[in-house]
Amino acid sequence: MKKALCAALTATFALAACGEYSQVANYKPGSYSGKSDTRPWEGGQFAGNKQAWEAALANRNQAQNEYKRAQ
Amino acid sequence: MLTRKSHSGGAARADFAAQAASTAAGGVLAATMDRRTFLKRSGLAAGGGALATQLPYNMIGAAEAADVPAGKGGAEVRRTVCTHCSVGCAVDAVVENGVWTRQEPVFDSPLNLGAHCAKGASVREHGHGEHRLKYPMKLVDGKWKRIKWEEAIAEVGDKLLAIRKESGPDATYWIGSSKHSNEQAYLMRKFVSFFGTNNMDHQARICHSTTVAGVANTWGYGAMTNSYNDMQYSKAALYIGSNAAEAHPVSLLHMLHAKENGCKMAVVDPRFTRTAAKADIFTRIRSGTDIPFIWGMLYHIFKNGWEDKAYIDARVWGLDKVKEEIMKWTPDKVEEVTGCKEADVYRVAEMMAKNKPSTVVWCMGQTQHTIGNANVRAMCILQLVLGNVGVSGGGTNIFRGHDNVQGATDVGPNPDSLPGYYGLAAGSWKHWCNVWGVDYEWVKKQYASQAMMEKSGITVSRWIDGVLEKNELIDQDSNLRAVIYWGMAPNSQTRGLEMIEAIKKLDLLVVIDPYPSATAAMAAMARKDGVYLLPACTQFETSGSRTASNRSLQWGEKIIDPLFESKSDHAIMHAFAKKFGFENELCKNYQMVKDKTGWEEPMTEDILREINRGCWTIGYTGQSPERLKLHMKNMHTFDVKTLKAKGGPCDGEYFGLPWPCYGTPEMKHPGTPNLYDTSKHVMDGGGNFRANFGVERDGTSLLAADGSASKGADLQMGYPEFDHVLLKKLGWWEELTDDEKKKAEGKNWKTDPSGGIIRVAMKNHGCHPFGNARARALVWNFPDAVPVHREPIYSPRPDLVEKYPQAADKKAFWRLPTLYKSLQDKVKDISKEYPIVMTSGRLVEYEGGGDETRSNPWLAYLQQEMFAEVNPKDANDAGFRNGDYIWVETPTKGRMKVRAQVTERVGAGTVFLPFHFAGWWQGKDMLEYYPEGAAPIVRGESVNQGTTYGYDQVTMMQETKTTLCRVVKA
Amino acid sequence: MARMKFLCDAERCIECNGCVTACMNEHDMPWGVSRRRVVTINDGVPGERSVSVACMHCSDAPCMAVCPTDCFYKTEEGVVLHNKDACIGCGYCFFACPFGAPQFPNGPAAFGARGKMDKCTFCAGGPEENGSKAEQEKYGRNRLAEGKLPLCAEMCSTKALLAGDAAVVSDIFRERVLRRGKANDVAWGWATAYGKPEQAAPAAKGEAK
Repeated sequence: MKKALCAALTATFALAACGEYSQVANYKPGSYSGKSDTRPWEGGQFAGNKQAWEAALANRNQAQNEYKRAQ
Repeated sequence: MLTRKSHSGGAARADFAAQAASTAAGGVLAATMDRRTFLKRSGLAAGGGALATQLPYNMIGAAEAADVPAGKGGAEVRRTVCTHCSVGCAVDAVVENGVWTRQEPVFDSPLNLGAHCAKGASVREHGHGEHRLKYPMKLVDGKWKRIKWEEAIAEVGDKLLAIRKESGPDATYWIGSSKHSNEQAYLMRKFVSFFGTNNMDHQARICHSTTVAGVANTWGYGAMTNSYNDMQYSKAALYIGSNAAEAHPVSLLHMLHAKENGCKMAVVDPRFTRTAAKADIFTRIRSGTDIPFIWGMLYHIFKNGWEDKAYIDARVWGLDKVKEEIMKWTPDKVEEVTGCKEADVYRVAEMMAKNKPSTVVWCMGQTQHTIGNANVRAMCILQLVLGNVGVSGGGTNIFRGHDNVQGATDVGPNPDSLPGYYGLAAGSWKHWCNVWGVDYEWVKKQYASQAMMEKSGITVSRWIDGVLEKNELIDQDSNLRAVIYWGMAPNSQTRGLEMIEAIKKLDLLVVIDPYPSATAAMAAMARKDGVYLLPACTQFETSGSRTASNRSLQWGEKIIDPLFESKSDHAIMHAFAKKFGFENELCKNYQMVKDKTGWEEPMTEDILREINRGCWTIGYTGQSPERLKLHMKNMHTFDVKTLKAKGGPCDGEYFGLPWPCYGTPEMKHPGTPNLYDTSKHVMDGGGNFRANFGVERDGTSLLAADGSASKGADLQMGYPEFDHVLLKKLGWWEELTDDEKKKAEGKNWKTDPSGGIIRVAMKNHGCHPFGNARARALVWNFPDAVPVHREPIYSPRPDLVEKYPQAADKKAFWRLPTLYKSLQDKVKDISKEYPIVMTSGRLVEYEGGGDETRSNPWLAYLQQEMFAEVNPKDANDAGFRNGDYIWVETPTKGRMKVRAQVTERVGAGTVFLPFHFAGWWQGKDMLEYYPEGAAPIVRGESVNQGTTYGYDQVTMMQETKTTLCRVVKA
Repeated sequence: MARMKFLCDAERCIECNGCVTACMNEHDMPWGVSRRRVVTINDGVPGERSVSVACMHCSDAPCMAVCPTDCFYKTEEGVVLHNKDACIGCGYCFFACPFGAPQFPNGPAAFGARGKMDKCTFCAGGPEENGSKAEQEKYGRNRLAEGKLPLCAEMCSTKALLAGDAAVVSDIFRERVLRRGKANDVAWGWATAYGKPEQAAPAAKGEAK
């Protein structure tokens, strides 16, 4: 949050200096700096076993395909 | 469009145009973009974004999040079935600490494969139930007052006993429910019989009673012949009077799958429905002209020689006479009456004839007419001519409306029959008394007389006339003095204005329901006292079986304990039986279990076992609770198209043991996926048409032709139904065990309590116990043996009333005088004042009277206002615009204040109103008349406040689909 | 690695709103919040088509691009999530979104507290411990962490709405399209959200932590 505010402030200064180009903070992929999130397979029922998690999802995905059960 | 999705601020559809436009814009936006580029282009994007801008953020009835941590500790999964329509979608409920915290899709279910519509996806809200009726109440000086259960049972019981003493048991009227499980519906039939009257009914009367009567009289059983799943085998499907996309959304999963595989789909309807939007062919028909349309199709079929001659010769009787009538319907006449051009009718006929197997679907659009019974027979005849019945992918797929309306029809509170369509003859009573273990003479004494015991009761469509009609004109001693609404909404019945008068006149009105329902509000508006509300719990708070439209039974586990002070319906029946002094007779065969508050209720499994021991006629005998539970646990083993289990513990059985599942559970009949299918052995679910109407008529045989019996039958010919005489004649009697012989002596397959006759016929000889006959195109015992078109009583076409008038009035019809011709003549020119056809139907978010679904915030949010669909021409003529309030006025002086939804969905001259609304009365919100906190979130004008008189000539089905109105700006 | 995507098959969508109530059910939505909605064109006339719309979790998400507090992040599976603690409810994402997904409920409920943005999470919660009470209250259930997919798609009445790994979803869709004999059918919104198929394949680098 703080970091984001800093970025916003910096942007404001930049704006004063460079006219239209710096009205906003430039978005760069990966600039998110908030709270980190755990990956879906971490903790909980998969306890870090990514393969098991992927298998579970793959299996679940096929439930949306009724052609698997009725041609 | 305003009312349809008012959450987006009154312009969902309009917004979508913008939304669609932004899709194109989105293509541009898809490129990498910084905020600067964004600002330049935001003009393009804003239209799409605006969709969400005007959401109303008021917090009416915020859903209460179950306050249970998300962890998995102690979570348990219980399986049941959605309580809304008849598809039978399975539901997995996650319960933590007694609270229903989550709902998971059941991908294993062969019926719905995890899919749900809005209603099904929201059933967990029942675990909240904020708007429920929470405790017993009574009306005192016009105010609702909370009372104790004991008080309620004592007071209501005393009043009912007093009325029975003064005026006889027939002065009471019991409205049961298609929301009851099979066990509860069955117990209700038994309970009301022990009270001593046949004055009972339920939703089926006003939903598919004409289908049940018309179809059963054509070929044997009055039910959907095939299944939703089997439609995957269809090559063409014709929907007439069905809006399945809204009324049975998950059925479309199967239809759209079939379509992808080449099935053609046609919709014939007065409205361009959401179902029509998915069809290959849509033809707009004038409301109430189904027979001319179907005859118009058959005209082309016969002209082109598309009929299945071999099939007709072998399995159909009486078609010649019908054909005479059909050939009178030349294309010009069809167009005159239906409004459909010859080419359109031809196209549908050709689609059905050239893409076989082809199936038909119908719902209320066919049934709710004064000639509903004839409409459905015309559909049967169409399918017989095309040789589509008893064929996978063909059949008449009649979609029932409620989760257990099929079951309640089969075994529930019907005024004209004991469970299993046994009728009310003395022999039927004796059969059931034997099953119940009670003395026939005792039951007879409970009734006013043997005559009243064997006379069909008043129907729910007419209970108001049972109250209001002159006493000398009704076919029972007293008028109705007490009405018990046990799981049904009042706003689903027509003539609402007169219903208020009837409610005023009653001595006692009791509502037993999870919700106070519109009955409570109407009663509080009309009276000061004499009304009781008793809270019943839903199917999620008890266990039991329910029968889906395809005749499959599914066992629902109890998810949670009854909420608040509600009780299960069977517990309430037991409490009243105790009060009336016949609890021992009622519950003789049941183990009793106690709930938390010490109330006793019969074990539902035991009730089902009793049903199993009695319902031989329709094969409700093989579905023991154990077998049903095994199916629920092994859903994944069943094939989605055939419904047959491949391996596993249910190997070879069909899912839910669709009735008829003949014989004892031990005989292991697999259930019948498609009725009358001769390509299968009877022990594999095969069959043929029923011999239920004698063996000969007018010198011709009614039995099927040689060689047209079910696969592997020892008798490869037509044959009558089995009884002890036939069995002896055939020399098969000795195949019975000694015990079976003793029980079967003098009996037929329907009354033999051992099931031995059925076993020998089916298992040993591959023969159908109900015989092998022809389907009747000509139903000689109905008023119109050949289905003929009759203009609705309130017709917009006086010229056609002349040509196709209603039949004569009836004097004592289901105990009441009933008007046809005399009324039609009287109102022949009323279309000058009321020129527009008024019709009604369903919305996907709501069901039935809507008290339950309009109380569910997740659904209520999606449909916040009552509306009427009006064609732009009619709106312009009347001088109002989309979104205006209008008055819909009817010939009964009914007046409904609703929002106008101006749309081409309806043709000019037709107005459509959804029928799920109640809680407004002629422009006034009835909120003050509901018990506090128990009013539905969304209230609106009920269409049936203004509907008119009109009843089917066989079943007393109400006419809802074609009446007249005018629209004016409010 | 799976790349999560939604796909709505307009040939199958019947506007039943099952997806909408499934979403409300799973996340215990307060009145007024609807992360998903069904929109219809040509309502009531031939050509009527409906699609179910929510956040599409775009490959190059405009909301992420415009957010002044950079509260958005993308998970390794391609799910666009946001941190409500950082969100200031400015509404830029709402302007940017081509699907109208972000919402700004201002009720007392946790979802909309202080006007913060709320949107579909692909049933993947947010930056709180997976499956925790805090996560549920702010973002709703985390089905992905349970090895399940979004409930809207899992409950879709006609299996029109598909959700899951892009490769699997497009396989399912392709099979249907081939059977319909209209191989050129394009799923609604797919190109807007994910670009052309070949564009969508490579995973963006280092987007999530």
